[in-house]
Amino acid sequence: MGWKRVITVVLPAMRLSKVSFRYSRRGPWVLRDVELAIRPGSVVEVTGRNGAGKSTLLRLLAGIVPPSKGSISERPRVVGYAPDVFPVDQPFTVTAYLTHMARIRGVSPGAMERLAERLDAAHLLEQPLGDLSKGSAQKIGLIQSLLAPPGLLILDEPFAGLDAHTRTELPVIIGEVAAAGGIVVVSDHQNQLENFPGADHWLVAGGTVAVEAGERLRQAVIEVLVDAEHADEVEQKLRADGYTTRRTA
Amino acid sequence: MIPLVRFKLAAYARSHRLLQPMIGLVAMLIIFYSSTVPPGKELPSYGDSAGLLIIVFAWAARGLLDTEPPTQRLISMTAAGRPSREIVGGLLAALVVNVGMAAFAVALPLVIGFSAFPGPGDLALGIALHLLGLSVGTALGALSSMPIVLSPGTSMIALFGGYLAMLLLSLTPFGGFLVPIMPWMRAANTGTLGAVLPQIAAATLLWTAVGMAAYLRLRRNRP
Repeated sequence: MGWKRVITVVLPAMRLSKVSFRYSRRGPWVLRDVELAIRPGSVVEVTGRNGAGKSTLLRLLAGIVPPSKGSISERPRVVGYAPDVFPVDQPFTVTAYLTHMARIRGVSPGAMERLAERLDAAHLLEQPLGDLSKGSAQKIGLIQSLLAPPGLLILDEPFAGLDAHTRTELPVIIGEVAAAGGIVVVSDHQNQLENFPGADHWLVAGGTVAVEAGERLRQAVIEVLVDAEHADEVEQKLRADGYTTRRTA
Repeated sequence: MIPLVRFKLAAYARSHRLLQPMIGLVAMLIIFYSSTVPPGKELPSYGDSAGLLIIVFAWAARGLLDTEPPTQRLISMTAAGRPSREIVGGLLAALVVNVGMAAFAVALPLVIGFSAFPGPGDLALGIALHLLGLSVGTALGALSSMPIVLSPGTSMIALFGGYLAMLLLSLTPFGGFLVPIMPWMRAANTGTLGAVLPQIAAATLLWTAVGMAAYLRLRRNRP
């Protein structure tokens, strides 16, 4: 019998301190004096009316625009960002595009095929970006955001136009990123993450962000190895007990 | 940074946007060298070419920076790790394209255009002037690109108006302190370019740096 040494690394929370933002010096304030702390492993659902400033908040979090006032500290180094509408108007095939994105991130493009498989997008890889339907394009946007394991994953309306398979798979992926210590921020019109265990909810309105902390149910991913012939039986038992299961090949 | 520059160059080349400034470049070179340049007159030709091609260099830079859809720039910013890398990557890609165009503009008259091969000194001065032209052209193109000037119409006016203003202002007595296009054309004609090149280069590179700095500053809130 051997001892296992468990090392816990406490990552600092990402913090927004008195963050205000406007697009030009005389323009109206989009956000004012926003104070937020986001712990590693958090999943945040951002809601708010059209034009309330959700996308601006996501861009600030992603580091795409700097705050006009205030500061953002401890942003994780690897940020994945999937925009609300993926820009298909580019002269590449899906594979060529994702290979470019992987190289820009300095990671091997190998993750592309695995992610495409999971999001049921393997058949899209050889298609030109311009031929993709809205839902297919949305999948490519998601894949590029996950090419390197993100410390901060920002998804702007990711559920719009997705098929049923991907709609159920995406929360699993979100859960995995969070379980690995990543922060996931999702703006979501359709409240797909309403029942996501432990998710925080932010309401963006009137230039401020109201926080409603979710029940902090911690999640973990365990792998269970079973004989192939018992797989169905075990899976049914686990599902009957209320667990989410997923087969890995 | 290199993979990002390659991505931008690939998108630009495949979009066929390169065709517009290339047609402009070829048309201008045909005009410059429609009659053979007599021996000893190579440097004045290079001086005019470098000064007049600034608009083509600016056009190419603007086209390259406008190739990507705005949302792709946001994706590239997060993929590259920092917005500044995406912005600098765009400028580097534009410089690469313009170095290629300038090389073509310098090399073509050596094959057809000049009746005699210029001396190494004149050739070096010609290359130097084209480098100055492409650097200031790239800065002008960046400042008139869509992230800075939102409407396509205003962007064209900024491009051509900016070039015309530069050209006209360089005719004034203060021309030497602005982008000295006319002074370098005159010096190339009168054989004094070697002596005044440091001053001309300093003024051109200063204004290029000012333009690039303004572009980088403006892009902070215009991703």
